[in-house]
Amino acid sequence: MTDTVGKAEVEQTPQDYKPSIQAEEQRTLPSGEKEFFFDVTTSDLEVNMGPQHPATHGVMRVLIRCDGELVTGAQAHLGYLHRCAEKIGENVEWLQYLPYTDRYDYLASMNNNLGYSLAVEALMPDLEIPRRATLLRTICAELNRIASHLVAIGTYGLDIGAFTPFLYAFREREWIQALFEKICGARLTYSYIRIGGVFNDAPPGWLQEVGHFCDVFEEKWKEYHDLLAVNHVFVMRTANVGVIPKDMAIDFGLTGPMLRGSGVDFDLRRDMPYMAYGEAHEAGAYDVPLGEGKKGALGDCWDRFYVRMLEMKECIKLVRWCLEVIEDGPIIGDVPKVLKVPAGEAYVGIENPRGELGHYVHSDGGKVAVRCRVRGPSFTNLAVVEELMPGSLLADSVAIIGSTDIVIGETDR
Amino acid sequence: MGLLEEAFEENVLTTKVDWLINWARLNSIWPMTFGLACCAIEMMAVGAAHHDLDRFGAGAFRASPRQADLMIVAGTVNFKMGERVKRLYDQMPHPKYVIAMGACATGGGPYYKYGYTVMKGVDRIIPVDVYIAGCPPRPEALLEGLMKLQEKIKRTPVIRRPARTA
Amino acid sequence: MEFQAIHDRLKAQGAPGLLGFDEPRPANKKEKDPGRAGMPFVTIDPAHMVEFLRVCRDDEKLKLDILCDLTASDPSADSEDLWILIQLLSIEHKHRLAIKAPLPKSAPTVASATAIYRAAQWHERECGEMYGITFEGNPDPRHILLPDDWEGYPLRKDYEFPREYHGISCE
Repeated sequence: MTDTVGKAEVEQTPQDYKPSIQAEEQRTLPSGEKEFFFDVTTSDLEVNMGPQHPATHGVMRVLIRCDGELVTGAQAHLGYLHRCAEKIGENVEWLQYLPYTDRYDYLASMNNNLGYSLAVEALMPDLEIPRRATLLRTICAELNRIASHLVAIGTYGLDIGAFTPFLYAFREREWIQALFEKICGARLTYSYIRIGGVFNDAPPGWLQEVGHFCDVFEEKWKEYHDLLAVNHVFVMRTANVGVIPKDMAIDFGLTGPMLRGSGVDFDLRRDMPYMAYGEAHEAGAYDVPLGEGKKGALGDCWDRFYVRMLEMKECIKLVRWCLEVIEDGPIIGDVPKVLKVPAGEAYVGIENPRGELGHYVHSDGGKVAVRCRVRGPSFTNLAVVEELMPGSLLADSVAIIGSTDIVIGETDR
Repeated sequence: MGLLEEAFEENVLTTKVDWLINWARLNSIWPMTFGLACCAIEMMAVGAAHHDLDRFGAGAFRASPRQADLMIVAGTVNFKMGERVKRLYDQMPHPKYVIAMGACATGGGPYYKYGYTVMKGVDRIIPVDVYIAGCPPRPEALLEGLMKLQEKIKRTPVIRRPARTA
Repeated sequence: MEFQAIHDRLKAQGAPGLLGFDEPRPANKKEKDPGRAGMPFVTIDPAHMVEFLRVCRDDEKLKLDILCDLTASDPSADSEDLWILIQLLSIEHKHRLAIKAPLPKSAPTVASATAIYRAAQWHERECGEMYGITFEGNPDPRHILLPDDWEGYPLRKDYEFPREYHGISCE
């Protein structure tokens, strides 16, 4: 019975059909061992990852071509969350645009507010920012950096298959959000840092609570470290995966933890200081952690992850320093309600949790910007994924995307 | 219940089939893992320990639309994504529910006027059961939206009844 | 390095296509000059953009090895030029350089900078779909953010908002 079926199949096949496994060939290696060959015809498989996929951190689509378990090509498709932020910037007034800055990198809204405000302030040389505002800005930006890294770490664990760290990370994040809610009334989209300063002074007892948070967080940090960073399974999944060498990182224009994970010592806060960061660095308030290749090659996924871990510790130190030096005073400079920004062009880049967030603003002296460009770090950082994925295993592609810590709102804007 | 009162042994409850099926449905709404934008972060916060969506039986986020009952459209839908949202909705088995979370999914939100690629509300492509206001809504608001959906499911007749003649 | 020193160095190196520079200046009421705020930049000829960028990247004193941003701008609907705006950053020397290259709207074609900075690739794709600029030599010049069948260049000042897309009303 089986024979006839087999024969019938053979008869139906065209003349040029090659059976998938041909006769074994063999050759003798110099060592005397015999090596066998199988001539196997396989075809590439295209796997569509996203736009709805739990590990793409939003709505990104990666078209992966794989040969068995090996990825041979990857193509990222963006634009599933394109919200026209730049066009809106050219149509609404300077201050009206501030809420939109909240929404492109929604994990680090304080930093976005800050970047935009600094860019507009660069066009207003007469505007003076009060010292208390500068320090409040620094505190909020650093707390937001911690919150953002917590999401990055929690969801990275989720991608790799560890659910528990996510719950731990969101526990502390809730506290930070409660702190932000006390100072500005919003949990996620703050619009707290305004052009000229901040819009609300810290309520009584807020600064003390931030200090208390710092104390508690340092203890909790050790939990994350033990739970995830040195977890054997996690290390096996991330070490030696997605290695970005130094020159490749620079060529692709990576910034932030992606760049520092590859061992390039560059941080805009320290090297091109803005606000109180220069002063804080002189006072020794923070260091810039770098990837060292502790668990594998320098610049692998684990290094990038660990740079974020260490950065959270540095943020705590910075916040502590701010709490020490902060004093009472005004919180916003002299900014009119209807703002007319002097004509000119400025590009200001700041260190966002994901890298350099650049704002290019061009004013013709009116109430509305001529051009309001956002250079999102996620956009540039994501480009490297197409390069990293080929040659890795299919399961590692999730680890690679997760380690870039992208926010789709920012890649697509 | 008078007739049935003594008909069964102890530990047997009697109820309507409608009530029973709806009770099962509304306490195990499985949402799809489907975050679009800012609101997705709040949706994640709802799923995490502090707000704990599991209390409502809706914490089992499914990665596949085939296993999901509820689509929470958490964020801005643009035209490029809209086609995918429609396809995902079509892939979900009945009964299926949609929550439009936040201003963007409800009606375009802050991107209404100048957002050339933004769809002015997800209800232009799929039917929506519950709208939640806010930009983004607080986690409590999402929980309330879920409770509203549960109320709606409770009212839904499951068994087709013959039309009453007067 | 300060901006002036960078400019002088570029001039000394004979960077191709260097046209000049623009610095912020205070307002001058006598000459009815409203002044200019913000940051300085150099202007270049887009025809020599790639060679210019190569000098910026390879020169020992400049070493502008990171391309932060490459974008364009449409200053006004009447303007005959589009501007290509490039932001460079040096990791070693910790300085920035802003570059502006005016490109006529009638022939918006320029050579791709992908060979110098790989980072330019996606930025050029975005620039292309938003402003209709063609980057010759870009290995993958598809749309990146907009759907493939999108019509018009949204960030141009004379762009008209679509009324519907695939049967879905935009109003």
